[in-house]
Amino acid sequence: MHARAPETAGQRPRQAFSNVQGLLSPAPQPVFQACFPSEKTALSTNHSQATTFQKLPALRKKLVPFAYLSPTLLLLAMLSLLPIAMVFFYSLQDNVIMNKTPQWVGFENYSKILGDSVFQQALLNTLYFTGMSVLFHLLLGLAFALLLNTRLIGPLPKALFRMVYILPWVFTATIIAILWRLLLNPNGVLNYLLLWTGLVSDKIEWLSSRQLALHTVTFINIWAGYPFYMVSLLAGLQGIPDELYEAGRIDGANGRQLFRFITLPQLTPIIVSLAMLDFIWTMQQFTLIWMTTGGGPIRATEMLSTFTYKLAFSSYEFSLASTSAFVILLLSMGVAWFYVRKQRASDE
Amino acid sequence: MLPAAHWQHPNRAIQTEQYKESVCGVGVVPLSIFQTFEELETMNKKVISLLLALALFASFIAGCAPVNTTSAPASSGGETVTLEFTQWWEPELPEGSFRALMDEFEAQNPGIQVELVSGPYATTKEQVVAGAAAGTMSDVVGLDGAWVSDFVKQGSLASLTDLMAEAGYDDSELAAQIQLGGATYMIPVVNFVYPVFVNLDLMEKAGIAAPPTTRSEFADAAQKLTDPANNVSGWILPLSLEQPNGIQNDVMSWVWASGGSMMKEGQPDLTNDAVRSVAEFIKGLYDAGAIAPGAFSLREQDKVEEFTNGRVGMMVSSLAHINMIRERNPELNFAITALPAADGYEGKRGLPYASWGIGVAANSPHPAEAWKLVQFLMSAEVNSKLSSIANAFPGNVNSTPDFVQTDELFAAAFEVFQAGYLANEFVGLPVAENLMRLFDEQFQLYLDGSQSLDDALANAQAAWLENFQE
Amino acid sequence: MNSRFSKSTQTHLARLGVLLALLLGALFAGFPVLWMVASSFKSNTEIFAYPPRLIAESFSAGAYLAVFTNAEKVRFFLNSYLVSGMVTLLTLLVGILGGYSFSRYTFFFKKPLNMLIIGVQAVPPITLLIPYFSLIVGLKLHNSYLALILTYMVFTLSYAIIMMTGYFNTLPRELDEAVMIDGGSSFVALWSVLVPISLPGIVSVGIYTFMLAWNEFLFALTLTKTTDMRTVPVGIQLLMGQHSYEWNEMMAMSVLGSLPVLLLFLFFQRYFIAGMTAGSVKG
Repeated sequence: MHARAPETAGQRPRQAFSNVQGLLSPAPQPVFQACFPSEKTALSTNHSQATTFQKLPALRKKLVPFAYLSPTLLLLAMLSLLPIAMVFFYSLQDNVIMNKTPQWVGFENYSKILGDSVFQQALLNTLYFTGMSVLFHLLLGLAFALLLNTRLIGPLPKALFRMVYILPWVFTATIIAILWRLLLNPNGVLNYLLLWTGLVSDKIEWLSSRQLALHTVTFINIWAGYPFYMVSLLAGLQGIPDELYEAGRIDGANGRQLFRFITLPQLTPIIVSLAMLDFIWTMQQFTLIWMTTGGGPIRATEMLSTFTYKLAFSSYEFSLASTSAFVILLLSMGVAWFYVRKQRASDE
Repeated sequence: MLPAAHWQHPNRAIQTEQYKESVCGVGVVPLSIFQTFEELETMNKKVISLLLALALFASFIAGCAPVNTTSAPASSGGETVTLEFTQWWEPELPEGSFRALMDEFEAQNPGIQVELVSGPYATTKEQVVAGAAAGTMSDVVGLDGAWVSDFVKQGSLASLTDLMAEAGYDDSELAAQIQLGGATYMIPVVNFVYPVFVNLDLMEKAGIAAPPTTRSEFADAAQKLTDPANNVSGWILPLSLEQPNGIQNDVMSWVWASGGSMMKEGQPDLTNDAVRSVAEFIKGLYDAGAIAPGAFSLREQDKVEEFTNGRVGMMVSSLAHINMIRERNPELNFAITALPAADGYEGKRGLPYASWGIGVAANSPHPAEAWKLVQFLMSAEVNSKLSSIANAFPGNVNSTPDFVQTDELFAAAFEVFQAGYLANEFVGLPVAENLMRLFDEQFQLYLDGSQSLDDALANAQAAWLENFQE
Repeated sequence: MNSRFSKSTQTHLARLGVLLALLLGALFAGFPVLWMVASSFKSNTEIFAYPPRLIAESFSAGAYLAVFTNAEKVRFFLNSYLVSGMVTLLTLLVGILGGYSFSRYTFFFKKPLNMLIIGVQAVPPITLLIPYFSLIVGLKLHNSYLALILTYMVFTLSYAIIMMTGYFNTLPRELDEAVMIDGGSSFVALWSVLVPISLPGIVSVGIYTFMLAWNEFLFALTLTKTTDMRTVPVGIQLLMGQHSYEWNEMMAMSVLGSLPVLLLFLFFQRYFIAGMTAGSVKG
């Protein structure tokens, strides 16, 4: 009986709370707030006489989320923060690793890197590469997810198509690069097919033409990355309740309107997470570019990642490379900041 | 685990201590968290037990892993020394053959064991740099001439001159030593010479009687060989910026073959007539369409496949390719010849080459044993063996690989080799790979028609000078 | 009658259109992979033959045999299984706890911690190589499975936590409450209620984690030393020689390497597709 008391005590205000919520709005979000006061009430009822202990459970309570996060934080603190801090530390010195007694130079490296014309070119290329990749990953991923979600085709062929559609996803970047080099070789199968069908009259140098190379590597990256979206969005589509579509149909919405006003809004939270992760990952895409063009021809496909790599392991300018890496981190964090803000907004 | 002796080295000791501190620092935090939690609800006990299970499991793996990684007993008698040898050679050689040589070494030197650390060529450089930075560089390392200067600058290589003196080694047998500031840091163990490969069937079809010996003959042959209808190009030029060594093997080699130089008194000299004439020569071939398509992203590994498939009449390529081409296309009828010289040049021809070089880590705790391994690999008999299995020319002047007697093509190559001299001006230059890349970019712009020859060479010269001033 | 007929014709047409679009997409997605598989059965020379052929004259499974009969290469696969499997399990475990925390609690530094978790994956790995390698050596983890497992966990945890937070966010809080009212802790609520419901999301995160760990090259190479500790991507790269590549064997090895991920996907497919359902219903 004693044990039940706090529960009942806790239940009452919650019910009252959610009833009020139910009257005010049908949105289920405030459940979180509803849940919190109930626990608080429960605890304070329990220790109502011992005021000295009141602070301790509150402290404990504050520690609970950290307990859940502790393995993550431990791992990241141990293995990630230190190296990242060292990269930052490197970026403030004149030249580390090659130089036994590096000098402190403050933010000089940053002005050097930001003023470098190759860096600027690499930044533009990277933004094009990343922007186009994220956009087309999303468009293709969504289109394929919608196609695979159709009811017009039996489950078996759909399962088959699903397997085929995720294929680009399962290979290591090195092999993707090697494979596309083979396909796009002047004497490769793509040129052969284009010549054979008469679509072109000359072999196209996909990867070694200054005009085409950037588009080509972007295309390869789009090919390699869309399944990440497709799979997640496909799952998202399965999760949209049928009632929503039925309600829409009753209201006389056509297919396009159903997509515009039901499907897309329902998928938005997933799309935002995916796009944020994809942006950060694509900004750093190195292997694919390095193994196909090496940043060339001339500087047509120079990216921040290849630029950084060359600084580190070709020029042995580890401080400048660290600086460049930190600039990439800051750019990514800008995007992450919008994401975190949006996350918080949707929490509340 | 590393042998105990490793930890006595001051550098390593410092490293260890430094990190011990950081580990402990982090280690304290979770403990205190756990203590707070013990008073908490049961859930936290579960979290803790879960974490403990994780930690146990982790330590289990950590404890297991080293068992199968070490072959060295932890110096029970204090006698056994394990040398670590990082190189990319083992995967390049017939399976098991390099290990067999090491076994031979171990048999000859009781108390020394060799642990081979083998990685892909393309990433060996990063591995060595990282190893040197962390103080765990292998005792003996395989080197490319293009890396030496930078490793010396990093302070990661030991002076072999000193080691030779300590061992009382007579270096007259060594075909070459790569020296910086008067001390030797790398010894080429075997050398891959880059002659010209010619497709004899295509030559015959094009009505060319003999392989070209001068540049104008080469240009003429390249144009005659080029036959777009049959998808054949006269020459192939790999200019990939990922592996810019095409600049060394396929471009600058023309300069050296005619006795020219890209350097002057230790400084870059790219605007001289020797370099200029080669650039113009190649541009002529490029504009005439005699160079295979896709040059700007081709690599050495692609180049050889084009030749093997009979789509290219001539290529400058490594001797290592002779056996590969035979294996992959037994029907291909090809020969090798020296790189053509400028018209009218009568002097000795420089032969471009790439080496498998060897060096010893500056912080190796066993420099004397490490040197023994180098000496073993450089001895006449072993060096003959190694060059035989690698299809390369020996680094010991008294070694003769078997294939020179038994194989016609290699015999021809050996003649070319003996008539000329090894020339590779990139060996020992600072940031050599970067220099090739910088030249490559300007050269591509020139071939592309985006800038004049004068601008290309002047820009490349300026870019190189920047790297020399540091 | 007339209208029903036209409707079924419409359906037929739509079905045809969708099928056509699916086939086109499959060509786009599958053709390069088909070419890879075809190449793995060719000789190295025929891979570069012109005109190119899908099925070469010298059709041979030699490249696969070369992989299977080489104990070293089989070991690469075993190592990859072990490492990727462990990374997946541990990442899920830790990621679920982390995601739960972000989803269900407000606490000090929540926003900065969220940024931190995103931020750790925003530094190009190549620049982390040297400090990270020094750290691993300092921890005496060099050349151990644990080094690889922990490293890949650092890479995959951010993704896992972000996705798990999303999935848990979509589940109503009443679910946890119901458990707590019955006297259970939040931990019980997580494992007995939330985890079973979000299993599909967990599976999708798990598959992706497995794939990341399976395909990583740079750290796999740097953090291991001896051949018996290498993983499949390193094995593939070892076939890329200084002077020539073993094209067909590389292709064969990557085809073999892709099988476990495909099998995982096949095995969990139904689950996976149905399951993300729960994760995606945004409240």
